[in-house]
Amino acid sequence: GDVLLPAPQSISILSTNMKHFLTWSPVIVQGATVRYSVELQGEYERDHANGSWIPSSECAPTTATACNVTDDIAASVAYRLRVRAELGAARSPWATTEGFFNRVTTSLTPPVLRVLADGHHLLVELADMGPAFQFQLLYWRKGQENRVQQKVVREVSSVLHLDTMEAGAEYCVKAQAHVEAINRSSSFSPTQCVRAQGGTSLWL
Amino acid sequence: KLFHFGACRVSLSMTEIRAGFTAIKANIQSRDPVRTLSILSHPHSLHKVKSPDRCCVTHHLFTFYVDKVFKHCKTEDSFVNRKISSIANSFLSARRKLGQCREQNNCVCGEESTEKFKQILANYEGLNVTSAAMKSLGELDILLDWMEKSR
Repeated sequence: GDVLLPAPQSISILSTNMKHFLTWSPVIVQGATVRYSVELQGEYERDHANGSWIPSSECAPTTATACNVTDDIAASVAYRLRVRAELGAARSPWATTEGFFNRVTTSLTPPVLRVLADGHHLLVELADMGPAFQFQLLYWRKGQENRVQQKVVREVSSVLHLDTMEAGAEYCVKAQAHVEAINRSSSFSPTQCVRAQGGTSLWL
Repeated sequence: KLFHFGACRVSLSMTEIRAGFTAIKANIQSRDPVRTLSILSHPHSLHKVKSPDRCCVTHHLFTFYVDKVFKHCKTEDSFVNRKISSIANSFLSARRKLGQCREQNNCVCGEESTEKFKQILANYEGLNVTSAAMKSLGELDILLDWMEKSR
């Protein structure tokens, strides 16, 4: 007869930088490979579509104990998620997330930034954080903190030219990430400073 | 992005709705046999709606899609169903903002716009529900283009 499968336990949602994952503890059946199916229910399904559930795009089914639901959660509304174990024709009960998840609560980390001086050129490299992100860069000449300049970067390219520096002067840069879809920003990255080539030469 | 619907200024993220619709547009429109009829543009285009009425008409249209359209668009294709779900949930989120703005600014529909919305409902009721829903969904870009003009 069919195995009686327990529902997965310890289910939770991890969301960082607009990447959302549902995770759970494995259901162990000796000598067998258990699979899992994940479904989602947005506010629309709950309130306007008879409480229906939508199968996830990545995990219907999967043998992993984590499911990337980023593409499935494409609206800033409250979602519920559920997962069940499957083995052959056997299905466990569904395990459903306790509360709701809204992507506006994703945790945003400061962008990874590298500041370079190439001769007189102030250059910046930004790590790509995904299509949902744009960046605000603040830069200034050391000692002239009252004249901070700002640049918004909507698409990350390899290297970004920020400014042409005065010989021997030191320039500082910091950056924060912004997600327009949820209208939130990360904290600023640590400030990085570099010195332009050249400088005062001694006239003998 | 900031949209100006008459007195309402609302920040809406339409990028994902547009991307979701673009991904299923051909599939949805292929299910619409009656190409000669339009739900949103018959007999007059949305572009004839006066600017002060845009807030009210847009809110009505979002309610129209949430209450009448999306639920009758279930397909046998899980990819399409997922995209419709994302669009529907995004519409709920946007409608909430529009509703708040409408209340704060007391946006009311003028006579012409009320008539226009009645015409849309009449066009919809004139077809069987699945055909009407699929046609309306297939015309989503007409609504999105009209809204983009409000930026």
